[in-house]
Amino acid sequence: MIAPVAAPKVVASSSARRRLRQLRRQPAVIAGLVVIAAWFALAALAPVLAPYEPLEQNIQQRLQPPNETYLLGTDELGRDVLSRVLHGGRITIPAGLAVVVINSIIGWLVGAVAGFAGRLWDEVMMRVTELFMAFPTIILAMAVTAALGPEIRNAVLALIIVRWTNYARLTRGLIIEAKTHEYVDAARALGAKNPYLLFKTLLPNTIAPVVVYGSLDIGNAILLFAGLSFLGLGPEPSSPEWGRMISIGIHFFDQWWMWLFPGLAIASLVMAFNFIGDGLRDMLDPRTRA
Amino acid sequence: MPLYQYIVRRVLFAIPLVLGITVVAFLIANAIPADPINANLPQSALNNERLVQAFREKWGLDQPLHVQYLTYLGNLLRGDMGVSIRTNQPVLDDIRQFLPATVELATTSILVGLLLGVSFGIVSAVWRNSPVDYLVRVVALIGVSFPVFLLALIGLSVLHAQLGWTAGPGRLGFLVSRPPHVTGLYTVDALLAGQWATLRDALWHLVLPSLVLGMYVSGIIARITRSSLLEVLSSDYIRTARAKGQREAFVILRHGLSNALIPVVTLLGVLYGNLLAGAVLTEAIFAWPGIGRYAYRASTSQDFPAIMGVSMLIAFIYVVANFIVDFLYFFIDPRIRYA
Repeated sequence: MIAPVAAPKVVASSSARRRLRQLRRQPAVIAGLVVIAAWFALAALAPVLAPYEPLEQNIQQRLQPPNETYLLGTDELGRDVLSRVLHGGRITIPAGLAVVVINSIIGWLVGAVAGFAGRLWDEVMMRVTELFMAFPTIILAMAVTAALGPEIRNAVLALIIVRWTNYARLTRGLIIEAKTHEYVDAARALGAKNPYLLFKTLLPNTIAPVVVYGSLDIGNAILLFAGLSFLGLGPEPSSPEWGRMISIGIHFFDQWWMWLFPGLAIASLVMAFNFIGDGLRDMLDPRTRA
Repeated sequence: MPLYQYIVRRVLFAIPLVLGITVVAFLIANAIPADPINANLPQSALNNERLVQAFREKWGLDQPLHVQYLTYLGNLLRGDMGVSIRTNQPVLDDIRQFLPATVELATTSILVGLLLGVSFGIVSAVWRNSPVDYLVRVVALIGVSFPVFLLALIGLSVLHAQLGWTAGPGRLGFLVSRPPHVTGLYTVDALLAGQWATLRDALWHLVLPSLVLGMYVSGIIARITRSSLLEVLSSDYIRTARAKGQREAFVILRHGLSNALIPVVTLLGVLYGNLLAGAVLTEAIFAWPGIGRYAYRASTSQDFPAIMGVSMLIAFIYVVANFIVDFLYFFIDPRIRYA
């Protein structure tokens, strides 16, 4: 379940640099950035930092509560929860990033063509977009993953199929607005063909808001990926993926460390992205600014 | 524009959307490499040509795609959603059996979320940048950032297992008899039958799951209410109202809130659809016998008629919910009536 986040209104203006400085002064934004940077570093360095191998079983030490040897306890096969949580970031973070990057590319293309071509193209493409929006994301993604088979790659693919719509709508609006500027007429008068106009003239002028929206959307993508994984539609059962660890952890309800720590990993990461998102929204939307 | 004309227009708009939904659901379920044969026939039967062939013929899997779709659509118009490959029952019967539990939960959750979210939003906007505002914003942020299944587990572990303040998983306690089936909503059925003990138990079991889902909803609603109310409160007519000497509470609630709620109402339709879909994640934890668990089981056994049935149903409810929202607009926002 994902919050429908309104696309931020990004105002291209000369005061952009001043605003960036403002952004850096907001404590919530800084906290968000620090947490994200920390997770990226932990995930990248997991093979070095993790005290044990994420798949290493030690049956004698199964279901140990957090203690000095196993800081976050062990799971039902005696695997170290801390090591698994650290390694989990290596699956979830790239998956979330991949979904968002590909979503923004597809969304930009669909929205740009719709907004640029106008008329029938616009009508058809936007109706198709609405159609995809009518399906609740998780159900549609679930159907796609179920049909393709439970695999990390397929879960990512499913999310790509169902989540490009917001990007398309955002881009369409931006292109329609950008099209009215004189530099577009100027380029056309100089003999620029449509593909040139789209990719050389309009792309650089509409990409920034899409990138901003995408960076805020990573949190949502991660939540959804973890959700699919929780349903058993992502990585295989032994995988140290956060959602998967929780879905196994619920069978060991009293061994709370098995589900709480991977859960907090997801929550902290998503919350960090939302912190930055809130900061950006406050900064870009003058109406809610103090 | 008179009301009936408005309604007719909305319905006409919805028809292509509903048709499109059937196409997408059908394509996803069919234009995909996995073969339901593998998921639904035992290993021993897979090598048997004739059995496989009979299975394909029985479920129409040997027909070309467009024929399959037209057959499906024709059946759908007659209220026939096909037979679930897994349960061997008509999908419609399955849905009838499992949907009420989910609707009951989604409805109480959205009420909880609306109540909490709007109150949070008002408090947060009125005392902007105060400690209360920060507290509310952090709570709202938790609501939208924590995976629902984590909130559910924490709730069960703390509120149920540790403190015993709420009931555990399931819709009713073991010893409580089910109310006679009328609507399938246990609370309503118990009320109709006058079974007060059952009603209390059903409500008792709804508390925790509604709180968990309501927390997610309230997070979204609080954020929207806050920013929308802040915008409204800085407008000229609020200044005018204050200048007239009206009491501050009246200004905020009557002039401010009633205008600030329009974007909240817009979201309700989407949120309700999200809640029905999100049931997939919570129902597993609360052992809630609803449509989410049904959908999940269907998807793991590649039971396409059931998957199509559920995704279409939810998409359809989503369309209807947004239709109702449009209808509410008509009353809330006078500008539509004169547009």
